[in-house]
Amino acid sequence: MTSTLLLLPGDEVPSSLLPKGNHKPLVLGPGLRHAPPSSVRATVSGTLTVDARKNALWIETNRGRYIPHVNDLVIATVLRSSSDFYHCTITPHAAQANLPQLAFESATRKTRPQLAPGALVYARISSASRDMDPELSCVSASSGKADGLGPLKGGMLFDVSLGFCRRLLLSESKVPLPAEQGGGAVTILEALAEKIGFEVAVGRNGKLWVDGGDVKMTLAVGKALQQTDQERLTLDQQKKLAAKTLRELGS
Amino acid sequence: MAVPEATLSHLNRADGSATYSSNGYTVVGAVNGPIEVQRRDELPEEAAIEVNIRPAVGVGSTKERYLESILQSTLRRIILTHTFPRTLIQLTLQVVNTPAPFDCPFTSSPLPLLPALLETAMLALLSASLPLASTYTSVGLALAMPSPVKKKASLSATAIMPIDDKALEQASSIHVFAFTADGDLLVAESEGLFAPEYWEHAYDRALELCIGSKDGRAEGEMVVEGEPEDRNESQWLRSVMQEKAEQEQRWKT
Repeated sequence: MTSTLLLLPGDEVPSSLLPKGNHKPLVLGPGLRHAPPSSVRATVSGTLTVDARKNALWIETNRGRYIPHVNDLVIATVLRSSSDFYHCTITPHAAQANLPQLAFESATRKTRPQLAPGALVYARISSASRDMDPELSCVSASSGKADGLGPLKGGMLFDVSLGFCRRLLLSESKVPLPAEQGGGAVTILEALAEKIGFEVAVGRNGKLWVDGGDVKMTLAVGKALQQTDQERLTLDQQKKLAAKTLRELGS
Repeated sequence: MAVPEATLSHLNRADGSATYSSNGYTVVGAVNGPIEVQRRDELPEEAAIEVNIRPAVGVGSTKERYLESILQSTLRRIILTHTFPRTLIQLTLQVVNTPAPFDCPFTSSPLPLLPALLETAMLALLSASLPLASTYTSVGLALAMPSPVKKKASLSATAIMPIDDKALEQASSIHVFAFTADGDLLVAESEGLFAPEYWEHAYDRALELCIGSKDGRAEGEMVVEGEPEDRNESQWLRSVMQEKAEQEQRWKT
């Protein structure tokens, strides 16, 4: 499913790597563009990932600014509120995102959450295009339920890299290798959760919200996750770090 | 020619950053974008590009503004600006180190600094994962003609060398070139006394330094040969990015 081929912007994807024998249309993910008539070129630098089953290919990158895409889960900060919208920021210095005041679970004109400037919201991007400001929503479009989205109370926000957020959001089945074989997602969360209780929300925009009940716990969990990201810890190192964190917390 | 050094993504608060040092020049670059643009700079169909260059000593002057204009027009062709209309891509380049000044005809010339600025900008943009049409590499060359008086100086008698202190002392002209990965000319700036055929000679040499000789253009083959004389800027750029990608994908293995 994965390859270690490095592509630089402008490089052509070798046609031997394009998935074949599948009648689904070819899907080009982030970092690739179609160069007519029939070649595919990279636009960012990174390793090429090919999913033959879905007939899709994309380039994995870790860094850079988050660009809003529909259905991504993000942690937004409320800047101000107007009569119909909360104006939120997803990434600093970028265009503001609009969160309709009625886009919360069972919100009506009378019963809607009051969010002060600076409040955090876990939201889904409901519309995003390069020509318009992104729009957020805290309810599922089909069921009208919150599904875990909504205002985040208490806790603290940590900055992590975009690649790490994607790893945290990977479900078990999507992980390239099972954990026993040394690959895969982040185990430090599970390792910590065996001993202590805390809440985590991961936004695709490089934000990580942690609430451990008290400040000490919140900081310990957040710092451990940040360290896992920055030092790119392997599974064993993650387990060691989790043990160290737990020891320092005295539990 | 000394192998340049590069560090990527070392500034946490910037979207992309890089430090590049070569031939006594060290430049730190940071890229932020796409961010909100001031109304007066806003372009309806594409992203505006802002380049700020800060010299190693003192505040920016005409020389820096001139370099900024070269970089800005170069990057407009490289960044896929139509992907982010009505936004700003901001590039800040801080010169950290320059070689000690000495007496030569090009002491006050902006050109010896230009290759380092271009390379830093490229690395910072790659670090920021901004969509680019292509990569480019840049090289500076000094031409030493036997004597400007002798009109019939043969091409072979002309020394062409990468710009460094020794080369600048004897140089009669200096040239900066940048090429895309496909070998298209992107930047050509020259200063000093030279004839067109000398420029063409310098162009051929620069192309060779940037993307390798025409016979062995196939990238895979070049890497395998791996002889130091064969190294070119494109290969070097690829090796830097390969190293970074391996670091980032470490968790997968």
